[in-house]
Amino acid sequence: MPQLEFDHLNKAYGSLRALTDLTFAVEAGEIFGFVGSNGAGKTTAMRIALGVLAADSGEVRWKGRPLDLDMRRRVGYMPEERGLYPKMKVGEQLVYLARLHGMGQAEATTAMERWTERLGVAARRGDDVEKLSLGNQQRVQLAAALVHDPEILVLDEPFSGLDPVAVDVMSSVLAERAGAGVPVIFSSHQLDLVERLCDRVGIVRAGQMVALGTKEELRRTPNARWRAVVDGAAPGWARTVPGAQVLSDDGREVVVELTGHEQGVEQPLLRAATAAGQLREFGPVVPSLADLFRGVVSETEEKDAA
Amino acid sequence: MSQQTPTSRNSTFANISMVARREVRARFFTKSNLISLAIMLVVLVVGIFVLDYFANRDDDGAADFTVAVESSAAELEPQLVAAGAATGTSLDIEVLSRDEAEPRLADDLDAFLGGDPARPEMLVEEQADQQLLALVTSAVQAHVLATQVTELGGDPQEFTEALAGAAPQVASVAADEDDTEQFGPQYLVAVVAISLLLFALIGGGSLIAMGVVEEKTSRVVEILLATIRPSELLAGKILGIGIVSLAQVVILGAGAVVPASVTGLLEGFEIDLGGTVLLVLLWFLLGFAIFSLLFGGFAALISRQEEIGAVTTPLMFLLFVPYYLAMFMVTANPDSTVVRVLSQIPFFSPFMMPVRNVFGGVEAWEMLLAIGIALLTVPLLVWIAARVYRRGVLHTGGRMKLTDALRG
Repeated sequence: MPQLEFDHLNKAYGSLRALTDLTFAVEAGEIFGFVGSNGAGKTTAMRIALGVLAADSGEVRWKGRPLDLDMRRRVGYMPEERGLYPKMKVGEQLVYLARLHGMGQAEATTAMERWTERLGVAARRGDDVEKLSLGNQQRVQLAAALVHDPEILVLDEPFSGLDPVAVDVMSSVLAERAGAGVPVIFSSHQLDLVERLCDRVGIVRAGQMVALGTKEELRRTPNARWRAVVDGAAPGWARTVPGAQVLSDDGREVVVELTGHEQGVEQPLLRAATAAGQLREFGPVVPSLADLFRGVVSETEEKDAA
Repeated sequence: MSQQTPTSRNSTFANISMVARREVRARFFTKSNLISLAIMLVVLVVGIFVLDYFANRDDDGAADFTVAVESSAAELEPQLVAAGAATGTSLDIEVLSRDEAEPRLADDLDAFLGGDPARPEMLVEEQADQQLLALVTSAVQAHVLATQVTELGGDPQEFTEALAGAAPQVASVAADEDDTEQFGPQYLVAVVAISLLLFALIGGGSLIAMGVVEEKTSRVVEILLATIRPSELLAGKILGIGIVSLAQVVILGAGAVVPASVTGLLEGFEIDLGGTVLLVLLWFLLGFAIFSLLFGGFAALISRQEEIGAVTTPLMFLLFVPYYLAMFMVTANPDSTVVRVLSQIPFFSPFMMPVRNVFGGVEAWEMLLAIGIALLTVPLLVWIAARVYRRGVLHTGGRMKLTDALRG
């Protein structure tokens, strides 16, 4: 399986370390979500991949070969800071960019027509980019990343500023490109979207990859967590369950961490809950990406403080 | 779809020409530019025809004045012609009788001279034209003078010649007088060329600076730099804007020269161009390339349109240094060591060499060396400017220091 590898990237701006040994890989056909707080180094990593910035050390490879200028032409890139020529017509601009990426005139025109149609800006082909609303400019920006039929997609915050319809269009386009075997890497702060779209997620903090894996891998805590809602129970009923550690207890809702993940590990807890009172709800707690993200970020912050 | 045949890589040349074509389209073929160009052209053409109309207002295809003389005053005829030639006025002179002339005064005749040639009666329709009056006066005076000289036993012809030659003969110890005569028209061509270079650079330089900053402020540069080399982008930009600036110079120049030659305003300006023009053209292009790169490179250091002036103004002033040095230093002392050394330096040579050339005394090796140095400077500057450009384009916020940009 061809891979887009980010291999031990290091980058410092003066005394500020932007990236420290950042390493991960995105497989062909995979959608990879790149998550991290502001200034964590996502944009820096993407810029290095596109050759806009030079890394101090490390390299980015595609199919085992360094991503050089020739290969970068085959990348579709949506920079964090959006930018197109404001006084150039949408259609002309997309054809120009496709041509710079190596397409012939006829091919470029067809591609421009296809993508403006697909992204719902076909009616605006003859307008200057600056005349479009920000949302539509964003669609044109995506078209600019897609128009040359790229082999790799690198999108920095592609969803910011989009309306729900555009988010759906964008999501389906990303899924379709991944289906065609394109590795897609995108960064976002909209964690619900990342959770829905991505096969794998990487969380960066201060230039380092602090969590990396499939959604399931990331969500899996070392010990199972269960939640029970019991009416009319004596406070502290859950503490009697062997091996259970009470994480929160407001008298009605109790969250408990058990030891391990084995089949039936929750059964003693369930029995205790039914015995304690009227059981209303009982189920496993699966942390959302947002929970994970907060956990990972605060965990590392504590580590830093220590 | 990624299994499609990958699109082919563009050659450097293809990239540069695509960027250049976009620049031409974005800067030349815009409504605002075409309109302002059209307005300038119309103003220019109309202006020249108006100028021509005023210059030839009294010119009905014939002479400036038509004067009739009575046979008694016919002796005045050669003096009138001579006086006319001296003031650049052409005269049609007819010999008529008073009766024949009088009705024609209302028509095409400007004046009738009759009676004593020493004190002729000047008959006009209403008022005597001042210019004609002065002309007739000097003709009459010349006639009287000639008569007196003859009476005194002298030869009026000799007298006139002696009088005409009675002027101080100015000689300068510094300059070779013969040369001054010879390089007249070529000198004009060279000065016009370096002046055009100066003006094209003042216009084109700020266009280039604006174009570079435009890409930075619109951030489109990040996509472009992920696709093509910064040097290709910069070279294409300068080529495109250069073509636009030159096209405007040529169009406006043609707008001035074509109607001027149609109307005959340029008659008498016969210029033998020949090799001088080719050399001048070569230096024009080299100079444009070198200075454009300076503008482009420096513009990459700034990130806001408002800061353009901070970069272009000093460069504009710098442009005047070689211009004035070429105009004054070279003309005063074309063969001095300072001039010979300066004219090898790429920022001075485009201005100095064309002027030195028309003064003569430029050895072939000097010219070839200067052209060679300038030709080598262009790719070197492309490299440096592209380096600054690359570091500078991602730098937003304040102005970047040149040393930081070069160090990268």
